[in-house]
Amino acid sequence: MTSRTEFISGRTGRGAAYVSDVSGAEHDRFMRISSWALLPLGLLAGWFIVGLPGKSFEAARAEIGRPFPALALIVFIAIAAPHARKGVESIIEDYVHDAAQKEKALLANKWASIALTLLWTLAILLIAAPK
Amino acid sequence: MAQADSDGVTDKRPLSPHLTVYKPMLTMMMSMAHRISGVALYLGAFLLAVYLLGLAFGPGAFGAVSWIANGFIGHVIVLGFSWALFHHLLGGVRHALWDRGLYMDPKGRELLAQATLGGGIVLTLLTWILSTLAS
Repeated sequence: MTSRTEFISGRTGRGAAYVSDVSGAEHDRFMRISSWALLPLGLLAGWFIVGLPGKSFEAARAEIGRPFPALALIVFIAIAAPHARKGVESIIEDYVHDAAQKEKALLANKWASIALTLLWTLAILLIAAPK
Repeated sequence: MAQADSDGVTDKRPLSPHLTVYKPMLTMMMSMAHRISGVALYLGAFLLAVYLLGLAFGPGAFGAVSWIANGFIGHVIVLGFSWALFHHLLGGVRHALWDRGLYMDPKGRELLAQATLGGGIVLTLLTWILSTLAS
């Protein structure tokens, strides 16, 4: 049995996904759109990361410092970190029931994802910067 | 943000089946694996960021953080990260298919769950083999 009923959301419009039409719509839409971007970016990032083990300082720098790997890894984290933030937000909302604790956890998660993006990007910019 | 706890109607709502009362099945295990691999990737990305910072700051700093990708522990970390990445990635593809109402029947969803599990392992092995050959 396949579902043939077309779902038309007031917020996300005529779409494939059976999603919330209220406040969950934005979260859901972001996860789905970022997933599409992360499909090729995840494969690329996976390839470059798997190339790292066993590499010396010079070899790893030469690999990550090339323009394409550097750019791919920066774009990857810029989309993957907010995607991870939203995913963990769902987990916090599912399992942390104390309102004050939940607020703290959501805030920590927010800044952790921002720090991850900034530190990762800074590191790659320093590696790829021409000497 | 979901506010299910504070709206006062929570008690009257029907409960969804809890983990403890739900018969374990592959689709459920894969749903849990999707979350767990997502969290693992988040944590792994922090480790990789530390590795990249070491790589950026110089040989001394790199010596302190190179265990993240070098040696036995490093290989285990990066192998685990790459498997979680490909597993989670294929989990996303599975959800994209389900979003379109495809493979939702008992046989189809079981097939997809198996394909995600097997595909993640195959993709991980393939990447490591090709990467070893390319270096």
